[in-house]
Amino acid sequence: MNSIRYKLSGVTCSVLQAANFRPAYIQCRLYSGPTSFPDFFKNPIFRKEEQAKLIEINELSKLAISPVKPPGVSETSSVYYDPLVNKLINHVMKMGKKQLARELVEKAFENVKRIQIERYHLASSAEAKAKIILNPKDILHQAIENCRPLLQLLPIKRGGIVYQVPAPITEKRSLFLAIKWLLDATNDKERTIHFPQQFAWELLDAANNTGKVVKRKQDLHRQCEANRAYAHYRWQ
Amino acid sequence: MKMYLNSSKMLLLTRIALKHAFPKTGLSSYFTKKSTFRIQNVYMYSSKASSSTENVYNNFTDWETLSRKKKVSKAMKAYLERAKEHDEFMKRQQFEFNIGKRHLANMMGEDPETFTQKDVDRAIEYLFPSGIYDPAARPLMKPPEEVFPARKAAEFDEAGRPHHFLFYTGKPNFFKLLYDAAENIQLLHKYEDKVIRKKETPDPNASLDLNASVWLTKDQLEQMLVEAINDLEYDNFKLVMDRLVSLPYSYRCKEFIEKYRKTLSTQRFALEIPKPSYDENGCAFVTTYECLRKKARGDVTIKCPGSGKITINGQDLTYFEDTQSREQVIFPLIFTGMENKVDVVANIEGGGPSGQSGAIRWGIAWGLRSFVDKSMLEAMQVAGLLTRDHRRRERKKPGQPGARKKPTWKKR
Repeated sequence: MNSIRYKLSGVTCSVLQAANFRPAYIQCRLYSGPTSFPDFFKNPIFRKEEQAKLIEINELSKLAISPVKPPGVSETSSVYYDPLVNKLINHVMKMGKKQLARELVEKAFENVKRIQIERYHLASSAEAKAKIILNPKDILHQAIENCRPLLQLLPIKRGGIVYQVPAPITEKRSLFLAIKWLLDATNDKERTIHFPQQFAWELLDAANNTGKVVKRKQDLHRQCEANRAYAHYRWQ
Repeated sequence: MKMYLNSSKMLLLTRIALKHAFPKTGLSSYFTKKSTFRIQNVYMYSSKASSSTENVYNNFTDWETLSRKKKVSKAMKAYLERAKEHDEFMKRQQFEFNIGKRHLANMMGEDPETFTQKDVDRAIEYLFPSGIYDPAARPLMKPPEEVFPARKAAEFDEAGRPHHFLFYTGKPNFFKLLYDAAENIQLLHKYEDKVIRKKETPDPNASLDLNASVWLTKDQLEQMLVEAINDLEYDNFKLVMDRLVSLPYSYRCKEFIEKYRKTLSTQRFALEIPKPSYDENGCAFVTTYECLRKKARGDVTIKCPGSGKITINGQDLTYFEDTQSREQVIFPLIFTGMENKVDVVANIEGGGPSGQSGAIRWGIAWGLRSFVDKSMLEAMQVAGLLTRDHRRRERKKPGQPGARKKPTWKKR
């Protein structure tokens, strides 16, 4: 058996040298299984309102042929699901403790709801009552919208001096900054006050277009306005 | 090389069989006859001009210069030698493979005439059970043309002049492909201009549907072209083909485009509707086994006329303590609107709450296929509920703190 093996390997060696030998289905794989989906998997469309749009333009059955990634562990088609809340929970999360982060955010929403209901009952006229938003998720959306900056300052080095140059900001970055500033303002609290309480106050302030975060946004805008003379450094 | 050694056991069998089947002399004469025939062929080809002896113009022909043997270039000579060697090698491999296959069929007690490659793979798996983790390293017996990649034929004639007009690019087949694609793009532009000049409207029905296929991967393209290409060239290929596809009349080059696309067959069974079974009360039920996600595995049974009762390992939905897992379990039920129409019984073990709830989610979605209509099935597919999540935790690598994380860089 050994002799045959040697002979065989000898033959293959000669062929190797002759033909730049590369086996047809050699695979270079480091892991036992893939740890992600290939590129051609499409992102799932699992929310009912988005699917309704697809059905309207008759795209659904066409899309059904192609492979689709499964939705993530925190995504559902339930009416209570909100992508922005999901994003917020992920920002609040530390060291992968998602359950705790979710509890904190939900507790903050409860506090918002309590404060708003109190205000609702204290309001004297029907008009004043109608103005009060009771849904904490609406308040969150409103707060984030009010905190979003429209411009950003980029440090650009020209002639050995770093200039703070105003530049337009992407949607994604402005959302990130809004959430980050909200959480920064919340964590800047006394030790006796808990996160849900402080976060509820910050949300209500921001939704009302007042408070630390909105001030921070306005400061940034003011700085951008002051540095408008440097704007041309973006392309020069 | 590694692959080849793996199959050496099988080749041993083939050798034994070969000795029994044919006397050695007969075999060798068979090969020599074949190879000389081939060389003759080549020779005839090279001296084609001098072969027409019965010609009327015989007298006018300057036989002296013509009969002088055409000079065969060194490259051609070397190529012919290599080709001969390779041909012989492949023939021998093919022969041994066939004998081995027959022998294998006899060992498995099956008919050698109808023994297919599928049977061969099954037999190898049975005779050489392997615990090697990577399937690519297990013993195998494949036809030699699969094990040894195709090689290019001579790209030049005896005088050393190349046949292909792009020979001197070094990668003629690849650049021919780009050239063809660019030519098609130009033709489509011209056609579009013509249509616009005629003031016709494009046919809305004739369009290219590329949802179910992807471009060939780099390896597949290399195998098809029999040329090694680098990443940049592969990107260029994708770029030019995407440009071609984006044109409004790209369906006119359908054949050309589809040659370089591979259809995806991952979703073969997802859109099929299996028949449910019935218990003694006439109640329809479907059981899905092997519901996997991360380290969790289990089975899920769905009973059709039901009241929305969910049982997980004997408990109700409170088996999961966190809200997220509970939401995941009821996701497919809410999505299809079947939350009060079916009962769910799940047995699940292994893994944590996230994996277990994911496995149950897939099991419920897979079982619900029998109880929903076609349009809902498509909606579930687009929502990704029918895709099995085969991802696993990636292993930690030696020399670094995590799967991908690298140690902090220190200059010294």
